Amino acid sequence: MSIKVDPGLMKELEVFGLKDAKKCFHCGNCTAVCPLSEGKTPFPRKLMKYLQLGLRDKILKSPEPWLCYYCGTCSEKCPRGADPGEAMMAIRRYLTAQYDWTGFARRFYTSERFEIVAIVIVAILVGIGLLIFNTGNPDWEHARLNSVWPKEKIELADLIMAAVLSFLLLSNAYRCIKFILGDMLWRIPFKYYKAEFKELIVTFLTQKRWSKCEDKMQWFVHLLIMTGYSTAFLLVVGMIRLFQRDDIYPLLHPIRLLGYYSTAAILYGCTYALVGRIRKSKSPYKNSHPTDWMFLILLELTTLTGIFIHFTRLLDWPMATYALYVIHLMVAVPMLVLEVPFAKWAHLAYRPLVLYVMRVKDRYLEAEASEVPTDETESEIKAVT
Amino acid sequence: MGGPVSQSILVVGGGMSGMTAAIEAAEAGYEVFLVEKNSYLGGRVAQLNQYFPKLCPPYCGLEINFRRIKNNPKIKVFTLATVESIAGQEGEFDVAILQRPRYVNEKCTCCGKCAEATTMEIDNPFNYGMDKIKAAYLPHDMAFPMRYVIDPALVQSPEAQKVKEACPYDAIDLDMQPQKIELKVGAIIWATGWNPYDARKLDTYGFGVYPDVITNVMMERMASWNGPTQGKIIRPSNGEPPKTVAFVQCAGSRDENHLPFCSGVCCLASMKQATYVREQIPDAKIYIFYIDIRAKDRYEDFYNRVKEDENVIFFKGKVAKIEQQEGSDQLVLRVENTMTEELHEIAADLVVLATGMEPTTATEPLPIPVAYDDYQFLPGLVVQPGIYAAGCVRTPTNVAEVVQDGTAAALKAIQSISRR
Repeated sequence: MSIKVDPGLMKELEVFGLKDAKKCFHCGNCTAVCPLSEGKTPFPRKLMKYLQLGLRDKILKSPEPWLCYYCGTCSEKCPRGADPGEAMMAIRRYLTAQYDWTGFARRFYTSERFEIVAIVIVAILVGIGLLIFNTGNPDWEHARLNSVWPKEKIELADLIMAAVLSFLLLSNAYRCIKFILGDMLWRIPFKYYKAEFKELIVTFLTQKRWSKCEDKMQWFVHLLIMTGYSTAFLLVVGMIRLFQRDDIYPLLHPIRLLGYYSTAAILYGCTYALVGRIRKSKSPYKNSHPTDWMFLILLELTTLTGIFIHFTRLLDWPMATYALYVIHLMVAVPMLVLEVPFAKWAHLAYRPLVLYVMRVKDRYLEAEASEVPTDETESEIKAVT
Repeated sequence: MGGPVSQSILVVGGGMSGMTAAIEAAEAGYEVFLVEKNSYLGGRVAQLNQYFPKLCPPYCGLEINFRRIKNNPKIKVFTLATVESIAGQEGEFDVAILQRPRYVNEKCTCCGKCAEATTMEIDNPFNYGMDKIKAAYLPHDMAFPMRYVIDPALVQSPEAQKVKEACPYDAIDLDMQPQKIELKVGAIIWATGWNPYDARKLDTYGFGVYPDVITNVMMERMASWNGPTQGKIIRPSNGEPPKTVAFVQCAGSRDENHLPFCSGVCCLASMKQATYVREQIPDAKIYIFYIDIRAKDRYEDFYNRVKEDENVIFFKGKVAKIEQQEGSDQLVLRVENTMTEELHEIAADLVVLATGMEPTTATEPLPIPVAYDDYQFLPGLVVQPGIYAAGCVRTPTNVAEVVQDGTAAALKAIQSISRR
């Protein structure tokens, strides 16, 4: 097998946030200090080596970037200031751009201007759309959103958006696991995928491996944002008929409580992360790429406008409610449409999927090895491991 | 033409480089004041078991130097003394020295009656606190000057009078006071050496938590016949000889969070210490965990010799963590083999941290403003006109080079005072 070496790789990754990887002198401290680094998938030093040697193909096939949750211990303990944690983050950004077949993600990550323009365009389209497509007969006496934008119509738009998003994200996610597993993806019998499926769901919902990191706060904050966001997503996409109602639920109604939980969780988590990044309070917050800011700012704005709508509805101010609703969607829709398939948010698919397929692969290889313990199989396993 | 005000030389630090500088200058005919902080001369070298690569004890070399000092009327030695201030310039420095009381005068014959008379014990600084000594003590077997010291705590205690009366030679003077000595010198040689880097700062290595994690300088004492274990290499936790010994190289060295530089001698020191272990415990297994082995010029032969020993495993990878599992009495070292990318957890009975050399000037700078390099070493042989640096306070290095450094500094000091 020939190995392609690309001397320009590190330079290329600079725009994705790579800075100090060239300082690495390969002592191995980062890999040994990492609580998540394991026998078969040691990281991050291996990736530092790939970067320095310009092994683009190896990076593309590496599952390790998605197994790292960026607690920052490796960077804090690095004797050279080579910041392996940030290098892993830069690789994740780079990989997100590589997995995306539309080429949109690449533009997104490499040009801040492109990112802003794209978001503004989508926002304007949403704004125009809401101004054109409505009942034309809003209730000016009372704040009743359904009198302007009926929930059935919004639901339809939601479902179309969700379908497009899912298609883009899943096709990118397929490319991700295809890069990592190669031909094995289809060679592994279905039963192995089935056997580990529960793990995929658990990982998706809890990121439980993250709790092994020293700084548990990062895991907790992420869990707040993730559960808050998932709840909000379910409420506004799947359950919009229950959520967008003109008469307000009693205070202790489950739907209203869910809404409060998701708002509080996102607000706390998102503000914590924003303040951390502004203050550079810990290693994972020290270097922020424009896409990191964009993600947090859009999420924070969506939440804040959502809170405002809640109050204007409680106060029964129709004009303010309708205006804020337009603004709310002008922030939320670009966030979803652009961030989920093409930017930082895509990790919601890549992380659990990669962990899952690596477990499937391990299980398959173990089974293979125990079934046919011949030298041939063993050498084959070594070759693919 | 203003001639030099003073023709004498002040040497600060009575370790290998300072002693050498003092002797060389005195033997060239110059008056030398040698100021030493400890109660004895010899510095860190006196605390070594053997030198690499020849593996001979340092006492024979030290003994020769002590005799040269003793026989030379041009050298005046001040022990227990520190330089408090320096004023003036090349050719005419005014120096104030503070000498702490020893409480023992020159009548001492080292009979040891004072030590017998006291019950008070103190941590033995010569053995890096690994054992205790009586508070009336001879600093070490070959101490120069060969004279006992009384610890200030003992002088304050009710036992003091009893100890004084126990001396048959009237050598104990409990009323000795700190003395301020003022000198006029033409040139100054700063040779205050180094301190081992504080291993407690290496928070993932458990030094100070696990008794079986020691440092390289402690290993030297443990292997010495006059050390805390009379030369037996043992696990401090249970006194048993270790079956597996791990040497952790670059413990704080080449590390931006600690000492960013390489001390240049720790690799060879660990290899030397590996030979101590192999000699005493023939079936012991030894790991040397390293980033890169630094054994320059002819020391490479020593490296090759140690490498031939199949019980010594050179393991490329920096140790990240040392932990003791509950219920186990072994230490576990987590390290990546950077040649194979495999993660390992390796158990050891005794771990030796190869800590590097921190210049004494990092914690005790000169009492006069001078330049330092990025790591607080003195910047070169010539610090400024009239002030010269010698030994490990200038650069971390081995004993042989320190001797050359002392000679070089002596010549510079002589040139400085004789050209005026």
